[in-house]
Amino acid sequence: MIVLATCSLGALASGEPVTVLYNDQVIAVERTLADPNDLWVIPADLPRVNGFELKPEGACLAELCVPVLQDRDSEMFVTRANQAWFNVTALARRLEQPYTADHDHRVWSFGEIPVTRTQFLHSAMAPDFELPNRKGQLVRLSDFRGKKVLLVTWASW
Amino acid sequence: MYDELQDQNFEIIAVAQDTLGDAAAKEWYDAADPSYTALIDTTHRVSSLYNFVNVPSAAWIDEEGRVVRINEGTYSQVLSLGQATFGTDEYRPAVIDWATNGAASAYVWSQDQVVDKIRRRTSDEALAEPTFKLGVYFYERDEARARSYWERAQALSPDSWNFHRQDWNLTEGLGGPKYREKRGGLGDKDYYAPLELAPRATTSAR
Repeated sequence: MIVLATCSLGALASGEPVTVLYNDQVIAVERTLADPNDLWVIPADLPRVNGFELKPEGACLAELCVPVLQDRDSEMFVTRANQAWFNVTALARRLEQPYTADHDHRVWSFGEIPVTRTQFLHSAMAPDFELPNRKGQLVRLSDFRGKKVLLVTWASW
Repeated sequence: MYDELQDQNFEIIAVAQDTLGDAAAKEWYDAADPSYTALIDTTHRVSSLYNFVNVPSAAWIDEEGRVVRINEGTYSQVLSLGQATFGTDEYRPAVIDWATNGAASAYVWSQDQVVDKIRRRTSDEALAEPTFKLGVYFYERDEARARSYWERAQALSPDSWNFHRQDWNLTEGLGGPKYREKRGGLGDKDYYAPLELAPRATTSAR
């Protein structure tokens, strides 16, 4: 039995460290499962990878929870050698979040999560963001709540 | 313009959208010495969030954080950055009217109008966003690789001038032949979303 169990690990052995690009962050992730198509991380890394947290009821972002069975293996969740692994790309597909990867350098790049965009797309609420000013201090749009703001993009090109 | 409106509870946030960061924006910001809020956006974050496809683009955001105008292409001396002035003079009076009169301004749109005006992305255009960001990530490390992702992003989202112009700027300098060729080939497509500056109809009994 142990031998068989070990064999089934073959397809999902320990993987190399990866870099995740999401929400303007460059996130180094040390622990992954080797999988040519999907990105698996340990649940403890999930919050810094995409803002979600794995709870008993599922993978949750604020009010939104995607149910995840955790007493058995599934597309989104597996247990190997007592270590739980979460499939970030399977969650992205479920949420229709666009992503792409550079497999040579193991860089995964994720786009916006549509369900987090409904306040903007359907209720015209301004998406918040945080960017550095010229001194490198971070400024948030929501710092200006209570004022009228003209937000303008421009470029030197 | 900003100085005369500072008492109106009004703020201009200028976002320099450039992969080279302050190095690229410096010359312009220095020349203008902006007293407004000047931010640096190396990954085109704001365009990604607000579905903008060109610069300059703008959104008006009210005191409660609601967008009350969005996605129009011509923004004149609203932003005089050094010698750069954008577009026409028409936009400036509209902004002043809003800054002064707030929600009562005839230039403020309803929620439905704003929602209708927000640019929608196809699934390919949505995929172009993380693809473009891969290019930004690789630009400092491996320029050829960066370029291949930018070209892919352009193919996925051919109407995004942001993706084209950032790439061409770093490849062949400002306003190069690719820019002129693509702009010349627009046909009936808009380079900028048109301004709709007719004030909202008011029920005025005269």
